[in-house]
Amino acid sequence: MRLREQPLHALSRQADRGRLYLDQGAARLRIRSSVKGFIRNLHLLYGAFPYLPADTGFADHHVELRRGRRLRALIRPQSRFRTDGQEPFEPFPLHGALPLFEWGINWSFAQRANQYILLHSGVLARADQAVIMAAPPGSGKSTLAAAMMLSGFRLLSDEFGVLDPNSGQLLPMLKPVALKNQSVDVIRAFSDQAVIGPLFIGTRKGDVAHLAPNETSTDGLHRPARPALVIFPAFEAGATLDCRLMAGEDAFAHLAFNSFNYHLLGPIGFHAVADVIAACPAYRLRFGQLEAAIEQIRSLLDEADRNTQRAAQGHPK
Amino acid sequence: MRGNAALPMPAGRHLLPLLRDPAHARGMRLADWDQTLRLARHARLLGPLGHRLQADPPSWDQIPARVQGHLQAGINDAAYHAQLVRMELRDLEQALPSDLSVTLLKGAAYLLQDLPLARGRTPNDVDLLVRRADLETAEQALKRAGWRMAVQSAYDEHYYREWSHELPPLRYPGHPLEVDLHHSITPVTSRTRADDALLFADLRPIPNSRYQALGPLDQIIHAVIHLFQDSELNNELRGLLDLDGLLRQFLDSEQDWRILIDRARAHHASRLLWYALHYCRTWLGTPVPEPLELPAPPALTRVAFDWVFRRSGPPKLPDKRSTLAQRLARQAGQARYHYRRMPAGLLARHLLHKGWIKVTAKNR
Repeated sequence: MRLREQPLHALSRQADRGRLYLDQGAARLRIRSSVKGFIRNLHLLYGAFPYLPADTGFADHHVELRRGRRLRALIRPQSRFRTDGQEPFEPFPLHGALPLFEWGINWSFAQRANQYILLHSGVLARADQAVIMAAPPGSGKSTLAAAMMLSGFRLLSDEFGVLDPNSGQLLPMLKPVALKNQSVDVIRAFSDQAVIGPLFIGTRKGDVAHLAPNETSTDGLHRPARPALVIFPAFEAGATLDCRLMAGEDAFAHLAFNSFNYHLLGPIGFHAVADVIAACPAYRLRFGQLEAAIEQIRSLLDEADRNTQRAAQGHPK
Repeated sequence: MRGNAALPMPAGRHLLPLLRDPAHARGMRLADWDQTLRLARHARLLGPLGHRLQADPPSWDQIPARVQGHLQAGINDAAYHAQLVRMELRDLEQALPSDLSVTLLKGAAYLLQDLPLARGRTPNDVDLLVRRADLETAEQALKRAGWRMAVQSAYDEHYYREWSHELPPLRYPGHPLEVDLHHSITPVTSRTRADDALLFADLRPIPNSRYQALGPLDQIIHAVIHLFQDSELNNELRGLLDLDGLLRQFLDSEQDWRILIDRARAHHASRLLWYALHYCRTWLGTPVPEPLELPAPPALTRVAFDWVFRRSGPPKLPDKRSTLAQRLARQAGQARYHYRRMPAGLLARHLLHKGWIKVTAKNR
């Protein structure tokens, strides 16, 4: 059963009692909240996610989203986020509970999930071939990830490349894609399949709206993908498509040093990232148009696929 | 000293049994781990717990993969902290005159001695001990090399230098760890004062290192004093687990135990040792031979202490509100800490000053 098939009031009751569970793949949350608007947004944006009953019993993160108390419940009411008793961020306005929750989960996950290498990248997959997209904020990474999901790719994450050092595979850490500023309209125009939540104006990252992960993506919550391609995208308005192969050491440095916990993992992180770079070609991709970029990524994946098959048959690359 | 009193809850449900015996994991269901992991994280014991369980493959293999992930994260995190400590020690080595005798205390000492209890442990800072006569030399050497004292008031500085057993914490700009430079293991003004002459007479070189460690018995006594005098008794399971590890590591024969008891007497820490052994045995199953010639505290003191430590010592679920009894126990632990740290007159003066600072800061 999917979350959206559960009536809103039932979810609210579960959240009130601190027994609303949410499975994001690499992390399972237990949520306590009595902020009604927040649960409504959750119902919309996590609608395709599996519904977990109140007696699920185990969660990786125990989070609470509550209203400010006393005066702050009445005057410019606030929402506050806590994870296992810790409050990493200043309160947000009450209606901004969802972005606060999303950033709170990112923080909590990045603090704790040190059994994995946490690349700062979006990850999408075609079948079980993963594309790792790493880039600094503002380079159009989330927009491209959103458009790829709406074009048939399976979204694993738009923020975390969760690399398991034991298997060398990437795990889904699936959350709504945070679209910023102009991206919201771009994605709305890109596909009529896009389920987009309310626009939150003037957050610390500008205006933000969230794109709900689709069923293709949520159905693969526990299906890892094998790294096949590394892309460093850069959006430039009006630019023609430009795709350049990167030297391995260059790609390694960009991937490793932008990760959340590379410094912490020492040799574990080094070997895991080195294996990714050894297995995947890496490209810089400058684009001005989403369709063209996605077409290019498809053909790069085809090529990577052919090379892997040839290598498996013992032919040199 | 007898008694197999019920374990304190909720830590006694699974966390303490797991620390006593990794095989306890074999009977645990996924839902049992929910609380257990949260308690272990709160007590900063994910790493030690992870190492113990991994060392017992039949138990480890039965732990759900999700749970293994948390434990592995704790292990990785601890490895990183251990590396930070090693790096800081390497830098300190460059800065300290090579003819100066420098002793490592606690976490750094456990790590360089490669004690099993160091596995998975995350040290907070680096603690160094030098003779009081060498304190000035050591401080100046570190300051010349770039370590700085965190800016603080003249009063705080006075407090550390006159009444404490360490200097205000030092930090090299940009380094993650602080360095505490001690000249003794107990505050100058505290009730239980370890005998510095004894400590310094029994230092042991750490192999392949420029540093020294306290003698094994003094390491135990130091951990005892640290936990049962120099803490507020709040969330201190990690300190108890250190003690358990030290006792298991350093004591074999009955003779060893007799010498430990003599040593505690010489450091005026017999009663603190009694508490340490009592809780190590009842909570962690540390093998302590009986009978020991260790005077038990008066019954009333014992009951009062137990009331406080059972409520305050073990980790609690972070989002669960404290009960009234838990809050009282925590306050009692704080009061005891201050009482043991300074004579009453000095304590009154210190608290008045701190109170005054608080009032003026609020009204500024």
